Formats: sequence, structure tokens, C-alpha cells
Amino acid sequence: MTARGQDMILGLLFAGLGLAAAWQATGYRGASGTYPQVLGLSLAGLGLLLALKSLWRGARVPRPLVDHPGRVAVTVAIGAGYLALVPVLGFYAASALVAVVLPVALGFRRPLYTLLAAAGFMAVVWLVFTGLLAKPLPTGFWSGW
Amino acid sequence: MDLLTQIAGSVFSLGSVAAMLGASLLGVLIGALPGLNPVMAIALLLPLTYSMEPLIALGMVAGIYNGSMYGGAIPAILMRIPGTPAAIATTFDGFPMTQRGEAARALKIACWSSAIGGTASALALMTMGPLLARATLHFGPAEYFWIAMFGMASIGVLVGDDALKGLMAAVLGLLLGTVGLDNLSGIPRYTFGEPWLLGGLDLVVILVGLYALPPVIALAEQADLKGLSAAALKLGRARLGWAEIRGLIPTWLRSSFIGIGVGILPGAGGNIAAFLSYSAAKSASPDPDSFGKGNPQGVAAAECGNNADNAASMIPALALGIPGNVVAALVLGALLIHGLQPGPQLFHQNPALVGGFMAQMLITSLLILLVGGAAATRVFAQVQRLPGVLMVPMILVLMAVGVYVINGRVVDLWVMFAAGLAGYVLEKLAFPLAPVVLGLILGPMAEQSVRRALLISRGDATELLTRPISAVIAVATLALILWPILRAWQRRRHGAKAP
Repeated sequence: MTARGQDMILGLLFAGLGLAAAWQATGYRGASGTYPQVLGLSLAGLGLLLALKSLWRGARVPRPLVDHPGRVAVTVAIGAGYLALVPVLGFYAASALVAVVLPVALGFRRPLYTLLAAAGFMAVVWLVFTGLLAKPLPTGFWSGW
Repeated sequence: MDLLTQIAGSVFSLGSVAAMLGASLLGVLIGALPGLNPVMAIALLLPLTYSMEPLIALGMVAGIYNGSMYGGAIPAILMRIPGTPAAIATTFDGFPMTQRGEAARALKIACWSSAIGGTASALALMTMGPLLARATLHFGPAEYFWIAMFGMASIGVLVGDDALKGLMAAVLGLLLGTVGLDNLSGIPRYTFGEPWLLGGLDLVVILVGLYALPPVIALAEQADLKGLSAAALKLGRARLGWAEIRGLIPTWLRSSFIGIGVGILPGAGGNIAAFLSYSAAKSASPDPDSFGKGNPQGVAAAECGNNADNAASMIPALALGIPGNVVAALVLGALLIHGLQPGPQLFHQNPALVGGFMAQMLITSLLILLVGGAAATRVFAQVQRLPGVLMVPMILVLMAVGVYVINGRVVDLWVMFAAGLAGYVLEKLAFPLAPVVLGLILGPMAEQSVRRALLISRGDATELLTRPISAVIAVATLALILWPILRAWQRRRHGAKAP
């Protein structure tokens, strides 16, 4: 998509977001509502202005949103999977898993190097957060053991 | 005198010294890794500082900031890859020096130049910060409101290529800042019945997402599987003689002034300071053609300029609550975490803390000479042997653990992830993120100030404009917003006149 098209969509999205925020703020009493209403309407106005500006004078040049869609998709999917697994497997198990799986998914084919780096890194994280700072982290199903 | 003793006592306490030294080492390491930058490092550090003494937390921020600005020069000189955006100008002459077999000499010049620029900047902060704070001591709510507006307008208009997008980003930040319980009336806003939103969006959670996830995705896109070979990282030995140091002094002086000036201006960053310093050195040189071909003056100008921007960007941040760049915005975040409101009152209510932080900026600038020495640089350069793909999950894990320990809530991980993905897409759309952060930081102050001013004046909105100082700042804010429109109109007029 061209920069012009992207900016038009971005402007319209922000205009919609601003209007929704202003409409929602009508339910708040007195000055509590006035301030977000003003902000919402300002955002809507600026969004519309951006959409109109892009329509008239937007650059018709391609502007890729991602350089390598495959790698971005893999990283985002594994990242989201990791966050979903943290409360299930516990922080350390999920983190060790992502530290091994993600480099492999991105094409790294040196298993011993990956395992050693993951183990060393997890040891440092454990030392800092559990050993030194004593921060409570999600334990997942290990808490029942 | 008592204050000075108190500041010296806290700055030179064991915890503060360890924090400064450790963070300076970490900063150089982070700067040396292309793809990682000080903003990301400080964003990742902030969650860990909740339980620390404020001065230890700020000492770590100072160390990472100054250290990483020098660290960025290491890959810039060795590989022509700037470790941080501010090190782009360092590649121009640094890499040709490496090709000539003078890598060690270039690194030594970068180290000295960074330390001198950082020291000059810290001295400017120590002298100008308190003066500016004193001048603004008698500001009322109306002035505070306009200061917040001026800060956001300046960041919105000056950062990025499109002033309209910058202003949109600032308004978005202000709107995000209204989420949660209204401090004055207790009414929940935009919480949608979710109890975890009552306290508002956590600043650090958003900061970690916005500034750490996009570089992680960029690292994954590059998919560096090899890292650098050991042979490429072999450095020789170099000594800077007095004659060479004497030749660099005018460049250091000039670049320090430029860096400090750029740092004070809201919206301009270390990369601009480095480019301007480089251009000035080239213009002043009797042999401008040698620039870009391995002239040591080019390395000195770029590195001195980008480090001279560091502490100077804290002058408007500490004295007015308006950060000069994103790192200064993060420092404001660090202060807010510890319940300290940046602005003129900070100097009067917490002089030991502000004085201590300014001293830490000075000490960590000088520490570059220690941690950036030839032996240390050899060690730091080795981190470039680590394949980039291994860094991707490591940073992701650090983000997750850092965000989780703030409130102990899994939902914060998803907020961070969503903010990061939004940040990644918005950056690709040339939408600046710094105004969003500034809006989030200054939003509550702006709202409270305007509502207090209206309460005092019994609803008379003209009170916001009739006080002389607030009127001046309001006009300056308006001029700042109108400036890009006038410039575009003028450009079009000239374009129409041209044959």
C-alpha cells in the first residue's frame, strides 16, 4: 500500500477513536467529562485533517509495513504464545522454552550454542530476579508440586 | 554547605557508586550491540527500580545513558554499524580509520570525546538547571498548564517529519493519561468495569512495550545468524599524544557548545547534535576534504556532540517537567515512580536528590574514561560475536519479567505486548512515539493545572491567558503549532513563483 493510503486509513482510525472517546466522555459528570471530550474531539479533528491532507497531497509511494513478513509473524506468534504460557508453565519454564524455540524458528541451526546461551541467560535472570531481588514470579502448574 | 555534604554523602555511598559503575558498564555493552539502544535499556531498567532508593535508580539511569552513548561508537567504528542512532556521524570517519588499521586510535578518541562532551553537558545542567528552576518558582496552575502544553507542542511539532502526526500523538498520549480514576472527582474514566484500569495505564508498562518491542521485532527481521568473527575484532594498541589532544581541543569545545544547545531544545536528540557538530568541525577545518576519509576530528566532533546532548536534555526536564528527548522523558518516568513530580518545585522540595542526580550525570561521564578504556573496549567488542537471533528471546524475557514484577499482574504483559505492536506499526507509519509518552507523563499535570486554575478563577477561562507569563507561554505554544503551517504555506508560495 502507498504512504497516501496508509495515512488516510490512519487518519480515519484516529478520527473514529477520538469520536468514540468523546462520546464515551459524555457519560462523565462535569469537568471530569469536559477534558476528555475536548481531547477526543481534538484527536478526531486532527485525524480527519490527516486523512484529507493525505487525500490531496499524500505521497503515492509504497511504504512497506514489514520488511520480512514471515519473520515478524513468527516472532509475534511465538511472543504471544510465550505470554500465554507464562501463567500455565510458570515464568522460568516458559522463558526457557522461548529462549530455545524462537532462535530455531528464525533459522538458527546450532542447537548446542542455543541451549548453552539459553541456560546461561536463564541462570542470570534467576540470580537477579529470584536470588538477588526476591521477586515473586508466576510458578504455573509447578506451584502444585 | 550542609546540602553539598548531604549530596556528596549520598552520591558516594556504596550503593550509588556500585549503581553508577555497573550501569556504565552495562550501558557501554548495550550501546555496543547494534539494535539495542539506551531508550530500550532504560525502559527495561525502570521496572526494577521500584524498590530501590531514588538516587540509586537515577544513578543507574545516568550510567546507562552516558555509557551507551559511548558504546554506540564501538560498532560504528569497527563495523560501520551505528550502535545507537546518535553514532551515525561517528561511522563517517571512524570506519575509514579502522580500514586504515587505526581502530584502537579511533576508539580512544571516541572515548575521550564522549567523556569530555558528557562532562561539559553535566556542568551545564548543574549551573543552568537550578537557575531555570528558580526563575519558574512563582508559576501558578495556569503557567504549569501552558508549560505542559508548550512541552507537548514542541515535541509534537519538532519530532518526526509530519507536525500533524506529532500533534495527534501528543493528544493520544493526553487521552491515554485520562484512563483510570479522576484524581479530583473520583469518577472512573475509560475503565470499562475493569478494576485493573482504575489506577490508569501504568507508565512503565507502556514505555517498555513502546520502546523495547519494536527493536526486538526489527532484530528478528534482520535474523543475524552469525555475529562478528573474532578476527574482525582484533584491535591494536594506541596512545593519544599531547600534540593530538591539543589539536582536538577546539573541536571538543565547539561540539560541547553545540551538543548542549541541541540538548536544551525540546525534540532534538543526540543524532542531531552529532551531525551539527560534525558539520561545524568540517567547516572549520583547513582540510574539509579529508572528512569522511578517516579524519580523527570527525570522530571527536560526532562523539563529543552526541554526549554533550545527554545531561543538557535534562535541563528543561528537571526544571520545567519538559523532557528534551525520550531518555529525559524516561527520567521523568523514573522520578514519578518514586512519587517525585518533575518541575520547579522539585529543586526546592528535593534539592539533595536533584543535586545528587546532576552529580551522577557528571561522574558517569567521567567513568567512560575508566569503562571505555582500551582493555574494556576489547571486551565489549566481543558482544558483537553473539548472533542477533539469540538476543530476540532474551530481550522478550527481560521485558516480560520487568513488566510482571511491577504489579504482579499477567494482564500487564498483554498491555505491554499490545503497546509494543502498536508502537511497531505506528513507527512504520512515520508516527512519532515520543509525544505519546510525553502526553502520558504530562497529561495528569496538565489536566489538574487547568482545572485548578479554573477553580481559582471561579470558572473564568480568561485567567489562563491574562497572567503575563502564562500569556507569553500560550503565545509561544500557538506560534510553535502554527510555525509548520506557515512554513508549508511559504514553501508552496515560493514553489508557485518559481518558473
